[in-house]
Amino acid sequence: MKTFKGGVHAPDNKALTAQCPIEQMPLVPDYYVALAQHIGKPAEAIVAAGDKVAEGQLIAKAAGKVSANIFSPVSGEVVGIEQIVNSKGAKGDYIHIKTDGEQRVVTLPILENPTPSQIIERIEEAGIVGLGGAGFPTAVKATPAQPVDTLIINAAECEPYLNCDNRLMIERTEQVIAGTRLLAKALGVTDVVIGLEANKMEAYEKLVGHEGIRVELLKKKYPQGAEKSLIYACTKRKVPVGGLPANVGCVVNNVGTVYAIWDAVVNGKPLYQRCVTISGRGIAEPKNLDIRVGTPLASVIEFCGGLSDETIKLISGGPMMGFALTGTDLYTTKTDSGFLALTAKEASTLMPTPCINCGRCATVCPMKLMPMYIDFYTTVGDYESAVKYGAMNCIECGTCAYVCPAKRPIVQSVRLTKSKMRRK
Amino acid sequence: MEKYVFSASPHIKSPRTTRGIMIDVCIAMLPACIMGCILFGWQALITLVVATLAAVLSEIVYRLCAGVKFQTILKEFDFTSVVTGMLVGMNMPAGIAVYVPILASIFAIVVVKMLFGGTGKNLVNPAIAGRIFAFMSFAMAMTTYPAALIGSLNGGAITDASGAVVSGATPLSALLGSNSSTLSNLDLFLGTGVGGVIGETCKAALILGGIYLVIRKVLNFRWPIVYVAVTGLVTVALNGFDFNVFLPSILSGGLILGAVFMATDFVTTPNTKLGNYIYFVVLGALTAVLRHFTGGEVVSFAILFMNLLVSIIDKYVYPRPFGFVKAKKEAK
Repeated sequence: MKTFKGGVHAPDNKALTAQCPIEQMPLVPDYYVALAQHIGKPAEAIVAAGDKVAEGQLIAKAAGKVSANIFSPVSGEVVGIEQIVNSKGAKGDYIHIKTDGEQRVVTLPILENPTPSQIIERIEEAGIVGLGGAGFPTAVKATPAQPVDTLIINAAECEPYLNCDNRLMIERTEQVIAGTRLLAKALGVTDVVIGLEANKMEAYEKLVGHEGIRVELLKKKYPQGAEKSLIYACTKRKVPVGGLPANVGCVVNNVGTVYAIWDAVVNGKPLYQRCVTISGRGIAEPKNLDIRVGTPLASVIEFCGGLSDETIKLISGGPMMGFALTGTDLYTTKTDSGFLALTAKEASTLMPTPCINCGRCATVCPMKLMPMYIDFYTTVGDYESAVKYGAMNCIECGTCAYVCPAKRPIVQSVRLTKSKMRRK
Repeated sequence: MEKYVFSASPHIKSPRTTRGIMIDVCIAMLPACIMGCILFGWQALITLVVATLAAVLSEIVYRLCAGVKFQTILKEFDFTSVVTGMLVGMNMPAGIAVYVPILASIFAIVVVKMLFGGTGKNLVNPAIAGRIFAFMSFAMAMTTYPAALIGSLNGGAITDASGAVVSGATPLSALLGSNSSTLSNLDLFLGTGVGGVIGETCKAALILGGIYLVIRKVLNFRWPIVYVAVTGLVTVALNGFDFNVFLPSILSGGLILGAVFMATDFVTTPNTKLGNYIYFVVLGALTAVLRHFTGGEVVSFAILFMNLLVSIIDKYVYPRPFGFVKAKKEAK
């Protein structure tokens, strides 16, 4: 079975939601739609307090090339643009919309048999960004600076707990395949690969047998879905240090992203809703939900039966790369793939102890860096030496910190070095 | 705000801890310790217990003197001092005066480990340094080995030049010196009729412990095998390619004990695969060559010497990152 070098076998805990069909999150009275839901500049709001908006109406315009349009998730009235500090600790502007229950919906014109340039235009118009978590505008990715020959659909979903991509592939197989074909057409690639981990056999069975699409079953190993690891596993090509997938003729997109492309082209529905996994043993009823952007996390958790008292950690995203939350003051965005409530049995709260040089971190590092040195030099403030051992090439997958018997906060050290070097 | 734990990713971690690993090492040493007590009697047990207690107590006392609260010391106790103490004990002949293991353990913990910054910061393996300290200070006592309580299975013995049986002589003295040995390889493997320090004579128990560590993924099976094999092969080469000396050379003396528990200590080995190959191959060759030309047991000296080279190996040997391209990198 194909894979990459390094990595760890972490308990995936996917069974909590693997069999849960995607449910629709019911409407809530208030939506807070963030203007920054992607990498790049925040979008510019084009509505003001008192405006009536319909579901699917453009409410904020992309500010430049690396940015994305934002659409109203609901039919309602704009209350205003509010500055909010969310539970991740990030400050930003949000458009507050009050639901009016009138269910007015607008869509973009439906495209029949679109040309490649029409598809790319639609991806940009519909505000589609990478739904794997980074939120990079997909239109930019779909117009690479150098020729590409391979489109890889990232269906690895190697983060434990998460099942949103898995469920999309199982329940909406044809749509995912159609979206993949649309993106392949837009890129003009000859080779289309869907790479998924071996723990998603149900999805694999459904995906195989589609003409022109190669489905690669990959070993279940974290971080199989890290872009460079995935490209290597599927094509044996190595993205150069500091390079982009396009350097080796590849474009990688997430399952959720191609589904959104299908929705935008075939139904004219811009991106304002996505599949999210709500899981962890602190959640009464773990679910996979279709959630509109701007939904308060508190409402989502309430819909899933609430939090148990044993919850000690709230996470936005997966447990390996997600962000800890101080509370539930958070509003869903396009890039949220999951929310987890972990109990003391699941989340690690052990304090760091001295490094014993066991070298496990270096053995598992998919980027072949020397995490123990990065951590050591960062701790003593020698950021240049930390860079020498690869701090800037780190993808922050957390594999090193996962295996560390001394529980060193290695990823935190990497981030510190990165921010110190960028400030220079 | 204080209700939920707020920290950087990853939020889940492997259940492995330093303490867990060290407890595994202690468990792995138990068969050899038990066999030591069977082969050398209750005096072996006293030596082992005294050495371990001295190591643990000296760590606690050192940290108390450094102003650390007793509760914190207990909370942070990671069993590394237990490992060091047990190893110091295993490196003593049974029946040695109790102050020798005590002093060796105190030296190992206080001078070699704590003064260099504690767990993970020591330059050389504390137990090795403790053994050498005792060897240098109490040479006679450290090389006076009692005879094993269980004799050779085939009636073999070690005899000197005049043909008299030398009680408590090590088979290595037969291999390297003027003594001659009629002990079978099975005797060497089980430690029956073999003289030596408490923990080194029963190779079967040491290998059992090594297998446990490999199964528990504490030890990479590659490194002890590389070390032992290189030592054996270089010895064979030095003896004019006489392959009969291969097994006796690797089953004699402290080679297996050193290979499984002392040379492979995380802290004092290189951090990369290539670095470890360099380290263990050179270590094996060094052990064989020094044994051949000094006629003595040099495993601990060879390890000590190589420990000091680790930082140099690590300085020059580190991996190229994934996707590394040589100097003229194309612009992105």
